[in-house]
Amino acid sequence: MKKFLLVAFLFIGSQEAVAAGGAPCGDYGECDSFKPELNNMESLQLGALTFINHCYGCHSLKYSRWGRIAKDLDIPEEIFSDNLVFGANVKLGDRMTGSMEPAVSETWFGIAPPDLTLVTRLHGSDWVYTYLRTFYEDSSKPYGVNNMVYPGAAMPNVLASMQGLQILSCKDVPMIASNGGVRRDEMGNDITEEKCGYLKTVQGSGTLSVEEFDEVIFNLVNFMTYVGEPSRSDRERMGWYAILFFVVFTALAYLLFREYQKDYH
Amino acid sequence: MTQKSSGFFNWINARLPIVNTYERHLSKHPVPKKVNFWYMFGALASVVLIIQIVSGIWLMFGYENTEEGAFASIEYIMRDIEYGWVIRYMHTTGASMFFAVVYLHMFRGLLYGSYHKPRELVWVFGMTIYLVMMAEGFLGYVLPYGQMSYWGAQVIISLFGAIPYIGESLEIWVRGDYYISGATISRFFALHVVALPLILIALVFMHLVALHEVGAGNPEGVDIEKHLDEDGVPLDSVPFFPYKVLNALVAIGIFGIVFSIIMFFFPEGGGYMLELANFEEANPLSTPEHIAPVWYYSPYYAMLRAVPDKLGGLVVMGAAIAILFVVPWLDRSKAASIRYKGILSKIAMTIFIISWLMLAWLGTVPVTALRTTLSIIGTIIYFAFFLLMPIYTSIEKTKPVPERL
Repeated sequence: MKKFLLVAFLFIGSQEAVAAGGAPCGDYGECDSFKPELNNMESLQLGALTFINHCYGCHSLKYSRWGRIAKDLDIPEEIFSDNLVFGANVKLGDRMTGSMEPAVSETWFGIAPPDLTLVTRLHGSDWVYTYLRTFYEDSSKPYGVNNMVYPGAAMPNVLASMQGLQILSCKDVPMIASNGGVRRDEMGNDITEEKCGYLKTVQGSGTLSVEEFDEVIFNLVNFMTYVGEPSRSDRERMGWYAILFFVVFTALAYLLFREYQKDYH
Repeated sequence: MTQKSSGFFNWINARLPIVNTYERHLSKHPVPKKVNFWYMFGALASVVLIIQIVSGIWLMFGYENTEEGAFASIEYIMRDIEYGWVIRYMHTTGASMFFAVVYLHMFRGLLYGSYHKPRELVWVFGMTIYLVMMAEGFLGYVLPYGQMSYWGAQVIISLFGAIPYIGESLEIWVRGDYYISGATISRFFALHVVALPLILIALVFMHLVALHEVGAGNPEGVDIEKHLDEDGVPLDSVPFFPYKVLNALVAIGIFGIVFSIIMFFFPEGGGYMLELANFEEANPLSTPEHIAPVWYYSPYYAMLRAVPDKLGGLVVMGAAIAILFVVPWLDRSKAASIRYKGILSKIAMTIFIISWLMLAWLGTVPVTALRTTLSIIGTIIYFAFFLLMPIYTSIEKTKPVPERL
């Protein structure tokens, strides 16, 4: 019976591994982890700057309002209006509906660039953070680039000037034996095999180093995480008070309950 | 109270039995003195019902029941209305917590035989509440008009189409259109905020009236009405106020902690309470890769998918819920509580719990051949638990139930 159960569990386990096949970040596999810093105003402000300068030309944030961002990100309205808001007729109370006509963009890209207000909630911040860093050169595509997370994405690599050329490369990696260990030859040396599909940045081709570029993307995705749910930092702050209230409430209720319980015990 | 009360209350009470009702159903209502935490979920369910009604009214202030405006109005509530996000998360967390406490409440019923004579009608009213809640939850899930709202509704409404002869016309009648549209949203809105809540409140009232007529049960399955004091009050009871109110307050406090943790820190419930695909507006031209219901429907969804034929799946799913109504007549045991039932009942209960949890998981994941087999096994166990109940509860040897609590 025990043996049967063991075999059954192993079978189910192997089947589950097959079912789980599709990795969350496409060809990239597991997404790189992203931990938002929603109280880091500098990061959010820099992220907003990157978004407005590089993304907002095509992507709207139509559920968000200009003034709300200025207020939440501690940016004085005057500085905000002068530096971040384009268009003379835009008022701070307006929604950020984007600057491109969907009909025009559809002829340009084949598909209208999606609104990005909720993209971090739809795909997760991890996904967006990984997606923006995994464009690579692919001459078969209309814009000369492809993406590992979302192969065939219709979006050009807008930040290529900062990141520089990123290419898919191959490298020698240790061969893994069926028992999970590294395979070795008779002399005890690791046996390696060539594997491809690794991202590599061509040094000096962009204005930023890999670390600097990662930071730009971090700030950008941090801002997008904020825009996805502007009340999130308030929510997490208020949560502690709510829990504290109920802890005190429970304690008092329990003491009273214990006192009255003596009547019938 | 009546003697001491002021002239005003006497005047009222002579015209409207407010004091008598208060004493009969609240202050002096006798309840078993020894119950455990399982007996708290009924009170918690009524707390969540109130949360849902109040937060629902506030949501209506900002919600727009049109095809063009529904999705945007949810974001308007979340962003532009002061503390709108509190109201909204209260309602979405409340929906999941409503089912959580009701499932635990129902399980308590199964565990301690709360449906045993004379509480059959209490159980039947309770099951009707559950049925209405399922409809209410489904209608509410469609209102934000996200991708999962749309495609979930598509799956569920298409089930009506499986009914022979009238199916197709019925489908159109339910949707109010040839496809899901503004007409569907506005009728679902009316049903969600007016029709079903009215029915729900009426049913809860009946559930409580029936319960107060026969008195609450207890984990021992002891009939406390057998031993009364000179005033006709059961010896093993205490008055509802203040004893059970204090008991409930402790439960409400703990529930408040759990509710706050979820609502303020995990409002999406890992995608099981608010599905991530629903953060995208409904798009009739693009089907999501994986359509799954929210967690509280998942066992029935697993059963629906276990049957290859659509009509067959619908019948199985319907039967799975319908069979719960007749449990009071399926259980032939002399003992109400699992504590005094025989070994067969205990084994059956354990297998049932495991298979129900397995079905709940299966309903949330994409189908594979193995999972379909497991769903079929789970479905068979689910029905076997109920259909074989008259047999295993009557042949097993029960322990003697004590006289007093």
